[in-house]
Amino acid sequence: MESSNAFWIILQRLRTPLIVLIVTYAIAILGMVIIPGADGNGNPYHLTFFDAFYFVSYTASTIGFGETPYDFTYPQRLWVMVVIYITVIGWFYTIGALVAIITDKTLNQELLKGKFVRQVQKLNREFVIILGYNYVHAEVIKKLTKADIDVVVIEQDEEKLNLFQLDESSMGVPVMVADALLTSTLKEAGVGSPYCRAVVSHFYKEEKNLRITILTRFINPTVKVITKATYEDTMTSILDTDVAKIENPFEIFAKRFDIAITAPHILTLENWIYKNADLTDEASLLPNGRYIICGYGRLGKLLQEKLDKHGMDYMIIDEHVIPSQTMIENETFIRANADNKDVLLEAGIESASVLVAGTQNDIDNISILVTAKKINPDLYLIARANTMKEFTIFEETGANWLFMIEKILINKTSLQLSQPLKHAFLKKILYKDENWGTSLVNLLKAQLGVNPQLLHLTINEEKAYAIYSAIKENESIPLNVLLKSLEDWESYHKAIPLFLKRNGEEFLLPSNEILEIGDQILFACNKESREEIELIASNIYDLQYVRTGEDKENWLLSKIFK
Amino acid sequence: MSLQKVISGFFIILAMTLNFGFFYGDMGNPAMHSTYELFGALVISLIATALKIGDKTQIGSVLLATSLVADIQLIIAVIVWAVVEYSLGGMTSSHMATVISFSGGALLANITSVVLYIGETLKSKR
Repeated sequence: MESSNAFWIILQRLRTPLIVLIVTYAIAILGMVIIPGADGNGNPYHLTFFDAFYFVSYTASTIGFGETPYDFTYPQRLWVMVVIYITVIGWFYTIGALVAIITDKTLNQELLKGKFVRQVQKLNREFVIILGYNYVHAEVIKKLTKADIDVVVIEQDEEKLNLFQLDESSMGVPVMVADALLTSTLKEAGVGSPYCRAVVSHFYKEEKNLRITILTRFINPTVKVITKATYEDTMTSILDTDVAKIENPFEIFAKRFDIAITAPHILTLENWIYKNADLTDEASLLPNGRYIICGYGRLGKLLQEKLDKHGMDYMIIDEHVIPSQTMIENETFIRANADNKDVLLEAGIESASVLVAGTQNDIDNISILVTAKKINPDLYLIARANTMKEFTIFEETGANWLFMIEKILINKTSLQLSQPLKHAFLKKILYKDENWGTSLVNLLKAQLGVNPQLLHLTINEEKAYAIYSAIKENESIPLNVLLKSLEDWESYHKAIPLFLKRNGEEFLLPSNEILEIGDQILFACNKESREEIELIASNIYDLQYVRTGEDKENWLLSKIFK
Repeated sequence: MSLQKVISGFFIILAMTLNFGFFYGDMGNPAMHSTYELFGALVISLIATALKIGDKTQIGSVLLATSLVADIQLIIAVIVWAVVEYSLGGMTSSHMATVISFSGGALLANITSVVLYIGETLKSKR
């Protein structure tokens, strides 16, 4: 019944026009029958109901065949005038009502909703529900459709949805204008479907995110909710639902900041995996010395924690926050507007080495950057860009490291949805130290150049037929087999296995694990080694060659003539 | 008391009474069945149908179905009458019987409507 709402709306709206039409016709016909006329010879003649219906039908529709079956008398003509006016007006009214229904907004929304629900029900592979269409989600949708993952979009603002439908990534994407905070909307969007993999919700108001997480939890606890939360209480409440993956951009950035102090090459690796930069990128190498942090909110507090942890020298500037006792005693806080030359000088900008412009206001941040750069051109500048709107201006200011909240959300969301293996690898390496990072970066650079490709191989029938069937026959295939050269089976090609994932187990830089069905392996490789890995994995002759060294043809013939 | 209920009840019952008026009398004798009454029965039945359109309740759907049945029966009766009168050279008693039996079918549907309507009313007054 739900989906035929549109049909009921039409019927309900047509009720009055239909009654008007029936009544006017009835009056007209009855009048025509009752009023006496005359036949050709002047004898009295009453129109039959058939005659009357025939006449009214063509008169009401303004066709007008003339007076049948005989010429009308004057009393009849008088009535015909009444007939014309009431029936024609009745028809106009009905047609007007029909047109109004067709252009009606509620009706159109109902029709679209019906279409949406049908489209969602037809989805027969994994999909992701995107709640709200904003800059972050627009980019996430692009990346997901590129990775061939279906998405469903809900947005309350029709204009924004129209904007989305102009975009080419909207082809075939089910969209609906609706309030995402309602259970019924989430159900219609397919949260209950076994194919629904995740719900993505990055509302600015974090209570909305919490609400969506809780609703989803009760509709379908197997669906993951990917959401944003930056305040302590919302974060814990969302985590309590057990279905959410929280993205807190401030925490993500603070973690990067921490790593940048202790192990910058890990960040180089991360940027390479996110495809932001190649392996030569060393932008995140933070200099030693005094740090000045402008803005003491969610970001400032997290950064302070990290600086304290490493015992660094720092100064915090914020106009609106009252400092704690210890901060006053340690003289690490100035209560003033950071966008001021004197204040910056007081904070010791001339001798400082790093400045973080981290307030909530983009224009303030830009202004701080410009002032600071003028006083001390050697400063390493970290800037917080709250939206992508002022992105180009931030680049102009010459900031060394841009902390873009939206970019972090985009990268993180799309990577964990479209390439979970890479995401798992990144999560693992963030806990490694600088030595590990440097050696891996150097190894990659030496073997594969500054921008190696990544290859994701799953051991299954479709992607790695040869290995799959060998394992099925109880042969043990070590990972090394995949790295052997097809030119010479005793040497190796250049690919480096970075990560191996097997139900629940994860191996970082696996050396020579015995492969199992369902293993997922991440390789760093170049074009040639990528081809070799794919050939060995899927071609039984190539696999046989690299395992035994027997020539392919010989082995084939021996198999045939056995 | 709601005006809505009075109006829809009025039309449902009027459709039945008019139809009965037309139906009552010698089956084969055209003189005993007024065309005016058939016309009235059809028009009132159509209005009763239009009034029930768009009612999404359970009882509303059943009432709509029964009155659609009545409409179709009456329309067929009218068409039969018109065809017999103008194409087959005039009404005979056997043709008249056909028309009357169609209207009898419509009468049954009307009665069902009324019974359902009264049942619904009694239930709601509980």
